[in-house]
Amino acid sequence: MLLPLVRRLASMLTTLFGVLVVVFVILRLLPGNAVTASLGVNAGLLSHAQLQAIDKFYGVGESIPQQFFSWLWSMLHGNLGVSLSSREPVSTLIGSALPVTLELAVMSMILGILIGVGFGMIGALHPDRWQDDVGQGLAVFGLSVPSFVIGTVLITYLASIFHYFPSSLGFVGLFTNPWLNLQQVFLPALTLSFGIGAAIMRTTRAAVLEIRGLNFARTARGKGISHLAYVWRHLFLNALVAITTMSGIQFGYLLGGAVIVEDIFVLPGIGRLLITSITDRDFPVVQSVTLIFAAGFIVVNTLIDISYTLIDPRTRRR
Amino acid sequence: MTTDALPANVATRPSRTAFLSRVWHHRNGRIGLVFAVLILLGSVAGWTNLTPYPPDQLGAGSILASPSAAHLLGTDQFGRDVLSQVLQALAVTLEIALLAVAISGVIGSIAGIVAGFIRGWPGAAIMRVADILFAIPAILFALAIVSALGSGVVDSAMAIGIAYVPIFVRVVRGPVLSLYEADFVRAGRVLGYPRRRLLFRHVLPNVAGTIAVQTSLTLAWAILDEAGLSFLGLGPPAPTASLGEMVSNSTSLASHAWWTLAFPSLAIVIAAIAFNFLGDGLRAAFDPRGLSR
Repeated sequence: MLLPLVRRLASMLTTLFGVLVVVFVILRLLPGNAVTASLGVNAGLLSHAQLQAIDKFYGVGESIPQQFFSWLWSMLHGNLGVSLSSREPVSTLIGSALPVTLELAVMSMILGILIGVGFGMIGALHPDRWQDDVGQGLAVFGLSVPSFVIGTVLITYLASIFHYFPSSLGFVGLFTNPWLNLQQVFLPALTLSFGIGAAIMRTTRAAVLEIRGLNFARTARGKGISHLAYVWRHLFLNALVAITTMSGIQFGYLLGGAVIVEDIFVLPGIGRLLITSITDRDFPVVQSVTLIFAAGFIVVNTLIDISYTLIDPRTRRR
Repeated sequence: MTTDALPANVATRPSRTAFLSRVWHHRNGRIGLVFAVLILLGSVAGWTNLTPYPPDQLGAGSILASPSAAHLLGTDQFGRDVLSQVLQALAVTLEIALLAVAISGVIGSIAGIVAGFIRGWPGAAIMRVADILFAIPAILFALAIVSALGSGVVDSAMAIGIAYVPIFVRVVRGPVLSLYEADFVRAGRVLGYPRRRLLFRHVLPNVAGTIAVQTSLTLAWAILDEAGLSFLGLGPPAPTASLGEMVSNSTSLASHAWWTLAFPSLAIVIAAIAFNFLGDGLRAAFDPRGLSR
């Protein structure tokens, strides 16, 4: 029981380390030196000595492994660097933006799972009937209509026709004004939940359809247990592993989608922070935010892996 | 001994027309084929400047004119013809998506075949790298690369392409692993065929279907990602039109001029459905047991 857990955590840490290396390689080693880029047109005005001094300040002159490990070292001490554009510590910027994205992520995951599991179960219980067609249509919609189109449509028409745009007053925290805050996060969360729900719906439908045909499910029906117990205990609980796996994968989609949706709905989360820092070529921020997104994805999927032992008793025996 | 002596279900290749007709008789496959042809025709028109008006001609019609015979999809706030712009932008989107899929398909498939075919550390190392890259969600990966490379047609294509390499590695490696243990490949190994022959005559034809399906699906994702990048203003810079940018520009106009939002969005959606459904149809057509509908 304990050994696989340790092994899983160890593999999580090596993956995280690998992600660190990849992000480092992308942002430091690709052409288009971020330091020179951050100076913009001013770079041409500086003397050679000045450029060298700047390079030394940012550690550009050091050997590449040296740069990597000094970066890693300061990060382990909670020092994520300083934003090149706002001159604030990156950890401060992220600290204020992260809760917004977390709230958005939780709310859209809940909505997506409700939509996906709901329509998936209904579809699988009435295959090829109108209930199924509605679900399938919704899945095609969710998989092919990009979140920025849904978001733009919601914003334009709710704002102009119903004069409803909760974000227009500026963002308020969950604890300052919970009611307004939930309204502000609801629309972006709904926007994201279509894509998440579509994928979860397809997985749920396929899993439940398969389980319905298995012997134990037929036996359960044959012995005449209540419909609710059949749907819950025999179908849903057995489909749960597939549903959880897909939810973990969709969490990655969610993080990517958060970038776009926060931009549309003017939510001050880390997705929006990422976009502004990319436009400003503020690479310490880009680097840290990318890492946080990847770390979140890895941690969530590790937790899901571990949760299988709770969901499925068969995985406990080994 | 020639390949003719191998089991019939491995070596025989159904004719191309029979294959296309199987895609056509699949419900989603048919929609996919029709939409894909539409998208291709539209892109060719945009690519060869066979548009009703020059796409960037200011004042081709009156400002924000609703759809009419002269301007089928209306005009934008500068009087540019929306249809012409959509066609040109579609060509750019498709160009980037095709380039991206070419990058991820070639690198990913080769890596996946090697990872499945060559035992020992090379395979394990490839999978480890793929797992690490897989941990970074595709659009974020693309964003990070765009932030380093800058934005342009080739830069966007590279960013999206690299992001989808790990999916190809995973999807291709699985079947290669099981093919490696299949009887006909074992027979080939026992007969002392060189690796190259096993690879090209035995394994590759049997994973071609998997690669084709994945190519089509990835094309759909790449189109959505390209549109997302350009919506965020990180696509190819002006004057290159892009669908995402058109949607982004329409935000302030759409309440009065719905066509500025509707038609670029519709182009993205049709393109995404086209290659998603085509992938479904291809999967069904390649499935010899006809299990997937």
